[in-house]
Order: sequence, then structure tokens, then C-alpha cells
Amino acid sequence: MNAPVHITLTGLVVALAIAFAIGSTIWWMLHPPASFVQKLAAQAETEFERLVGSIMVVFSQDIESGHMMALAAKLARGERSELLAIYVIEVPFTLPPDAEMTAEERTALDALGAAETIAVKNGVNIRTEIVRARVTSQSVLDLAKREKANLIILGSFREGKYTGAPLGRAIETIAANAKCDVLIGVEGKHGTLLVDEFGQAAVPGGNEDRQANV
Amino acid sequence: MPEKKKPELRRSVTPWGSFAWGYSDVGADIFVGLGLVLGAAAGASNVAFLFAGVVYVCIGLAYTELAAAYPVAGGGQYFVMRGLGDIFGFIAGWAVLLDFTIDITLFAWACVDYLSQLLPVLNTTANPWPHFVVALVLILGLLFLNIIGVRESTAFNGVVSALDIVSETTILTLGFLFAFRPEILIHTMQTSWPSSNDLMLGISLAIVSFVGLESISQAAQETQRPASVIPRTSVALILTILIFALSYSNLALGMQTWHPIPLDAHGHTQALWHWLGNGDNNGKAVALLAQQVPYFGAVAAFYVPVLGAILLLISSNSGVFGSSRIAYAMSSAKLLPSAFQRVHPKFRTPMVSLIAFVGVSVIELFFAALPSLDPAASALYARWFNGESGLGFLADLYAFGAATSYSFVFIALVALRLFDPLSPRKFKMPFNIPVTVRGERAEFPLVAVIGFAGIFAILLFTLKTHPIGRIAGPAWLVAGIIIYLVYRRNKKLPILRSQSHDWRTQQAEILRNAGELELMDEYLANVKASDERRARAAARP
Repeated sequence: MNAPVHITLTGLVVALAIAFAIGSTIWWMLHPPASFVQKLAAQAETEFERLVGSIMVVFSQDIESGHMMALAAKLARGERSELLAIYVIEVPFTLPPDAEMTAEERTALDALGAAETIAVKNGVNIRTEIVRARVTSQSVLDLAKREKANLIILGSFREGKYTGAPLGRAIETIAANAKCDVLIGVEGKHGTLLVDEFGQAAVPGGNEDRQANV
Repeated sequence: MPEKKKPELRRSVTPWGSFAWGYSDVGADIFVGLGLVLGAAAGASNVAFLFAGVVYVCIGLAYTELAAAYPVAGGGQYFVMRGLGDIFGFIAGWAVLLDFTIDITLFAWACVDYLSQLLPVLNTTANPWPHFVVALVLILGLLFLNIIGVRESTAFNGVVSALDIVSETTILTLGFLFAFRPEILIHTMQTSWPSSNDLMLGISLAIVSFVGLESISQAAQETQRPASVIPRTSVALILTILIFALSYSNLALGMQTWHPIPLDAHGHTQALWHWLGNGDNNGKAVALLAQQVPYFGAVAAFYVPVLGAILLLISSNSGVFGSSRIAYAMSSAKLLPSAFQRVHPKFRTPMVSLIAFVGVSVIELFFAALPSLDPAASALYARWFNGESGLGFLADLYAFGAATSYSFVFIALVALRLFDPLSPRKFKMPFNIPVTVRGERAEFPLVAVIGFAGIFAILLFTLKTHPIGRIAGPAWLVAGIIIYLVYRRNKKLPILRSQSHDWRTQQAEILRNAGELELMDEYLANVKASDERRARAAARP
């Protein structure tokens, strides 16, 4: 036969004290102060989250961003960011703003269609927009402001492959004046300043050329 | 050809892993210690635990400071070697080795005791041979698993530790809530207060419930950010174990039992504490106490013996690899022959160390089991050793080894504070007196003195009240010192003096390898400032 249960005030207080003491001790133990390195890492992570809150990828006749789209989609997926791809058609001052530019529009549709495909493949929602503007850089800056973009992603200057200069004027203006972070992707072939693991200057022409030379 | 870098131990032990590492060793102690202390200190068991607990807090703080300042494998042996020199480092390490071998036997023995709660055929009094054989098989099984390199994973340790903490907190919380009667506690303390001798015995046994902090410092070399994490895990472990030990002892003395307690051998009624502390039950006291918790006891009756047995087996295993690790560290420091560093060609495990120290634990098991297996031996033990039981025999030696090594650790802490003040200490024992030693500012730790007084008192209690401990313990130390002297003489190493060590370079390397770069910078800056001070002082006319 079981004895009757007696709940005493002392017993109740001690029971609560034990549960609280053990729980709080374990909690305290599992939350040690962060080291300098950990603080740096946490700060970088926070900044990265802020950085990729809303991403805008820019295409234009002068800006080749195709290779950056996959990166943008992966970033957006990892951080659950909003993704906006725009194609800026620069209308020369010699033409009226609504002038028919069939070939450019066709190129824009192709570029944004490819962007959409990449985004869908990565499971990211994307909005696309074709913008007509007199000056590419200013329109990108205005649009970034309107969309409250946290990050503008740009490819390299389309002419760069011929001239050897990867950044055109539009890219430089955007990078210099944007109120948010700007990520500029320059294709590997421009990385001639990099030094490879053998201490030799990397060979122009990307990884394939480099491997062939090794 | 590029220089091949020596592979370093990966720092994979997280804060919880570090805690679980220590908990799986110390946490099991109360499963054994509770019954032993209740049997010895009776109505003053809570006082015995409190005394030992205060000493244990001092020990814990000392280990915490040292392990955070010197995060290397070796633990107490390394601290003593660094603070007091090679021979004292050897004595401390050898005493820790005794504890690890006892750890193997004591916890394998208690593991079988807990299993006997579900399998009565393993009861040590009724069936001593099956009890002995199963304990022996468990020990040899652990040896085999450790030789072939199979160890329980840190994750498994972590899960078992978490389950046990939840379980013990539940037992104590519900026990106090539903069954604690303060008037019973007071009555028991008044009517069952032990003699001074029994109280001393109880205190020296209570320290058994707190042995194993060494494990955290043993794992320091594999812990992430040890200087920051180890102080937390150590303090958390100290508090957790202290809360459990004090709570269990008070609950056992002041509990209104849920089921009737069986009559004693003479047919008289007996109190809960008396029942838990007798020879039949002292090896499984926690499981029996849990059964007496209203409502919860019905569930606890089934799972607490199993959980206790698993935790005790893990603890026994920590004795197996702890002994081989410390023997390896002592051998690397040229305190023991290099044979203890030899690894198995196929399994890459320190086979010689494993076999040697598990062999010692098997001998201890034999001596512990002898009185129950052979009536003639029982008569011999009754005549010469106060009729100690197997568990008592093991606890004697455990208390002796722990008290000896901890005494040295306190002295080493004081020495290191005074003679190595440049090493940054992210955690310091409280209450220090500023002093100047050899032109350097240092702090004299008052708590270490209190701790030393406490543990030295426990060592004296052990020598006075443990008839086996006072013979076998010192005999173990003498045997070790002979091995040490012969080895050092054969190797033409300094026998009583220490080898030369470049502690400055070693300390910078230790901190760099530990990933404590800020502390390394601080240490190097301290060293530079100290050198400049000395140069200025020397240049002064």
C-alpha cells in the first residue's frame, strides 16, 4: 500500500530551486561569450544578410551579366531574398524615348528569359523588367532606389573582352554612386593579375587554359 | 622537399561535448557514492557531502583555472610537473592512474549492481560468482573494444548525459515536491548522527562522488576555444554535481517513502537511508531512491537502473582510455618508459598501456570480490580490514588516489601562480592576495589554501578510517616511485631533479595550438614586457 503524498512548502521551494538551478546552469554553460574571431564572423554574417535582402541584377547592351545570374539566384535562394532582373535599353538622344528598338527588345527578352530560367531552376521567385532610359547608369540607380535594393549585381563591360578593360563607364558610375552594395563579376579571363598556387601568374583564358598550361 | 607538418588533434569537442565528457565520468559517481556515504555517515550524510562538496568546489575551481591556462592533455599530472617538477608530476600522475584503474573496476562493479535491480541473478550478496564474472567480462570487453579502437562517440556520451541530467532533475524535483518532509530530515539528523570516526569515513567516501573533473582537462586539447569553454563547462559541472549530491543526500534523509521499506536482517523496521546504505543496496542506491518517488517511481523503477548502468559503463570506459591517455602523456614527458607510448601496428591504439592498466584493474576486481567469493578470505578481511565489502575496498583506494593527486594540484596551482605569473589566466580562482615574486607581480590564491587544507584533511581521514586504503594506496605510490627511479636511472635522466624545459616556447605553442590567439598575444606581450623590465633593472647602476 502506498503512503499518502504530502506536499510541503519547503519541498515545493526546494524542488523549484533544483529545477531552476540545473536549467539555468546548463543554459549559461551553453552560451559562452564569443571570441574576437566569432564576433567578426557574426558581424560578417549579419552584413551578408543585410546585403542580400533584395537583389537587383542588371543587364544592358553594355553590361554582360549572364554569368552572374546563377550566383544571384543561389544567393537569393540561400538568403530567401527578393530577386529583380532588369534590362536597360539605352535610347540615344537622337531618337524619341518611345522609338521602336526591335532588335534591342528582342535581346532584352532573351536575357531576361534566361534569367527567369536560372531563377526557376534554383527555386527562386524573380521579377523581370525592361527599362528604357537615356543613360543606363542613372536609370539603374533610380530603379535601385525605387526598389530599395540591398545589392546590385553587375557583370562586366561587354566590350571588355576586346579592349581588356573589364569595367565600362556605366558600371563605374553605378559602383561609385549607388547607395547600396554593388557586386561586380568579372569573368575569369580577366584575372591575369592573380597568382596561381605554384606562384606563377595565372594564365589568361580561364581555368581550362590554366589547366592545359599546368 | 616540403616539410611534412605533424598532424594535430582536431578540435571537435563542443561546450556540450566537453561537459558530457566530464559528466559521464563525475555524473556516475553519485550512483555509487550515495549508498556508501549513507552507510557510513548515516544522519550526517548531507553534512559529509557538504564538506566534500566545498572541497570539491575548490578542486573544481583549481582545475578550471589550470585547464584554461594550460590546455593540454595530461591534466593534473601536467600541472604538477610544470609547477613542482618531474618527480612530483610523476607522483600526481601515478595517483591519477590509480584512480583511473579503480574507476574501471568500481564502475563496472556498480554497473552490475544496477543491472541486478532488473536481473536478480546478478545480486552480489546472493550470487557473488555471476556478479564477479559479469563485472570481469565487462572490463575485458571494454579492454577489447579500446584495443581495436572502438569508442563510444561524443554524441552518444552527450545523449546519455542529457538523459541522465533530465532524469535526475526529475527524480529530485518530484521527490522534494511529493515526498520531502523537513521534520523527518531533522529527526533523522538528530537521532542518527554518526560517531566522529564514521563521519570522517563518510566525508572521505563523499569525495568519491566528486572524482572525475580530470576528464575535462584531459580533453582540453580537443576542445574548441578551451580557455573560454572549459571554465564554463567545469563550473557548470561543479554546480550540477554539487546540486545533485546535496539534494540526494537531503532527500534520502528526509523522504517520506512511497512504498514500505523491507525489514532489516533482524526483522526490524529500518529507515530509508539505512536501507539504501546497507551492503546489499549501497551499489544501487539512486535506483532504489527513485522507486520511492510517488507516481514517478513506477516508471523510474524500470529505466533508472538501465540509465544508471549505461552511465556507469561509460564511466568505466573513461577509466580505460583515461589511464592509457595519461600513461601516454607521462611517457611522452619521460616520466614513464616509452613502452607506454607503443601503439598496436594494426589498430593504432596504445595496447601496452591498455593491457597494463586494465590488468591492474582486474587485480583490483579480484581483491574486491574475494571476500564475497571465498569465506576464508571474508574472515581474513573481517580480521584485518574491518570486514570491508568489495565496493568499500574500491572506494578506499579511489578516495586515496583522488585526495593525493588533488593535494598536489593545489600546491602546483600556488607554485604556478607565483612562478609563472606571465601566463594569461582567463579564469582565476577568487580571493587572491597580490604579491611580488622575483620582480613580477603575482597573486596568491587563498581558495587554493582552503582547498588544500580540505583535501589534505580528507587524505588524513582516508588514511585513518580506510584500513585497505592506508596500506594499498601508499604501496601503490611506493611501487610507482621505484619504477620511476629505475627508469630515470637507466635512461640517464635526472632522477630527483627535473629535465630542462623551455616553458616559454611551449606555452606560446600550447595557446597557438589551442586556437587562443588573443591569449597567445597577451602571453607574448607579457613576456616581452617582463624581459624589458629585467633589462632595465640590470642596466641600472
